Amino acid sequence: MARLLALAALFLALGAPPPILVTLGPQQTVQTINVKMGVHTRLTDEVEEWKIKKTLEMVRAMSAPWIVDYFPWGYIEATEGQYDWSHADQVVDHAQRQGLTMIARLGFVPNWARPKDSTINYLDESRYAYFAQFVAAFAEHFKGRVRYLVIWNEPNLNFEWGYRGVDAAGYTRLLQAVYARAKQANPDIQILAGALAPTLATPGSTDAMSDLEYLQKMYDAGARDYFDALSAHAYGWQDSADAPPAPQRVNFRRTELLRDIMVQNGDAAKKILITEGGWNDHPRWTKAVSPAQRIEYTLRAYDLARQWEWLDAIALWAFRYPFPAQTYQDYFTFVTPEFDAKPIYFEVQKYAR
Amino acid sequence: MRGKFQLPNPKSQVRGLPGSLILAVVFCAAFVYSLYFLFAPKPPPKPDAVWTRIVSDGVFRVGIDPSFPPFEYENGKGNVIGFDAALANEIVGQWSHENETPIRVEYVYSGYDGLYDALKAGEFDAILSALPYDARKTEDVRFSHAYFNGGPLIVARIGDESIKTYFDLAKRRVGVELGSSGDAFARRWQRRLQYDVRFYHSPAEALRALTRGEVDGVFTDFIAQSDFAKREGGIRIASAPLVDELFVIAVRKETPTLFAQINAVIDAMKKDGRMGKMQREWF
Repeated sequence: MARLLALAALFLALGAPPPILVTLGPQQTVQTINVKMGVHTRLTDEVEEWKIKKTLEMVRAMSAPWIVDYFPWGYIEATEGQYDWSHADQVVDHAQRQGLTMIARLGFVPNWARPKDSTINYLDESRYAYFAQFVAAFAEHFKGRVRYLVIWNEPNLNFEWGYRGVDAAGYTRLLQAVYARAKQANPDIQILAGALAPTLATPGSTDAMSDLEYLQKMYDAGARDYFDALSAHAYGWQDSADAPPAPQRVNFRRTELLRDIMVQNGDAAKKILITEGGWNDHPRWTKAVSPAQRIEYTLRAYDLARQWEWLDAIALWAFRYPFPAQTYQDYFTFVTPEFDAKPIYFEVQKYAR
Repeated sequence: MRGKFQLPNPKSQVRGLPGSLILAVVFCAAFVYSLYFLFAPKPPPKPDAVWTRIVSDGVFRVGIDPSFPPFEYENGKGNVIGFDAALANEIVGQWSHENETPIRVEYVYSGYDGLYDALKAGEFDAILSALPYDARKTEDVRFSHAYFNGGPLIVARIGDESIKTYFDLAKRRVGVELGSSGDAFARRWQRRLQYDVRFYHSPAEALRALTRGEVDGVFTDFIAQSDFAKREGGIRIASAPLVDELFVIAVRKETPTLFAQINAVIDAMKKDGRMGKMQREWF
């Protein structure tokens, strides 16, 4: 009987598909005429390693040297004090092997660090030190591999601030809590603040605050000493890349207005990195453009970025989703979930080579 | 015992029946029952609750995002018009006739991305809003038979009969709208067919280049082709769609009767030419 069982186990083992062997492969470099080009990848929810590798290979082949990705605190430190770096390591190591520079966006409060029934964006001020501890651990763990950290995402939206009421001074205190700890853990780390949502919120709105007003309020609260560069979101909506900026208009060059505020506050030496942005070509979304316009504006935006000496990188939203959003969001991407490159991918590649 | 006549014991007779005979009898009975079960006339299945309500109340509630001409848009007087509205009217028209009770369409507006959730929440009975078939959604909803194919097709000049498939464009010149699904298709086959792909900023520009003889074929969709043919002419459809982009109506899983009733009208419209007539009218 035992022999029969052993034989059956052997047959089963022989019949099972072998595990997919994914290696980092040889060190690559990005060939590009525009060293500021980048994309926001969405590897946070990508489970299979070969897909992580393939995504990053395709980014490299598109000639974009920068990527932004999201590293949720709640995934890495699901239990207080216990860090699971395995997935983050996988993403960072493959990115590094493809010759890509990673900008890591940090956020997502774990259950243990927030009240029951609060959202993942809710971080009470009494818990800032816990987040700072995580940022410091991240900076230390990825020393030599990740140099740029974006602290939080779009805090000028009430939703992104955990429905606590938009509070630029409160966000500034978060930066203050994080900055020294992160530098202590890794003096080379660059703390990026802001990542503000470009909005036209009316004064007094409970949903959002204008990004321009919010940035000024950050400076008023003393944020200047607690970040090394500003992260900006530069969506074009239906304007071309060249459309002039205006406070009451959301478009790509709105980034210049953020820059003006930095200059006005004596912060001209600091750089901006665009960590989200771009155009959408959904056939029905009211803020979308045609596919041809999307390509034209995207190439122009990459080129404008090259000319802005105060800008270090421009990572557009979004390279590829691991699964379809089944909404207009799918029309922001360069590559389908099945790794089919869209025409925009080939046009960007053609431009950058 | 001698000379005494004995009657045979009936029990011993039964006991004596061979087992195989009993099995055969049971099998035959089961077979006859199965035949009856399979072929006997059955009462019609009970209509689903939504269909029952549509017929009793005389209202078919349609979820729509009226921002996509020529399929659905408002005419400025608060009325939804377009191909999909005309289709909805045909559907309720046929239902009214068959059920001998008036049924009308009631539109429920929804943002396009919220249509599926609103359907699931029961805010309306069906989505009829230039909705593309999506295999990933088939676990959640039932999709009707397709009533339109929005995939790119080959458009050629009138008088040029040499192009019937994309293989006929090998080593020739193909025009596409940059970034469109026609563009994606053209790039996919370019290496094999070695045609020269020329990019334009709109389908109209590509079709104009076709009429000027700058390209030999254009990959674009039916609506763009039809619009250009009406305005400027000189072009013809040379092929079936190269890629299917099927427009369908979605209903909830638990409404099989409504699903069948919608399909019956779509099938009838295709068969009797009403669908083609509506396409000519709206596109």
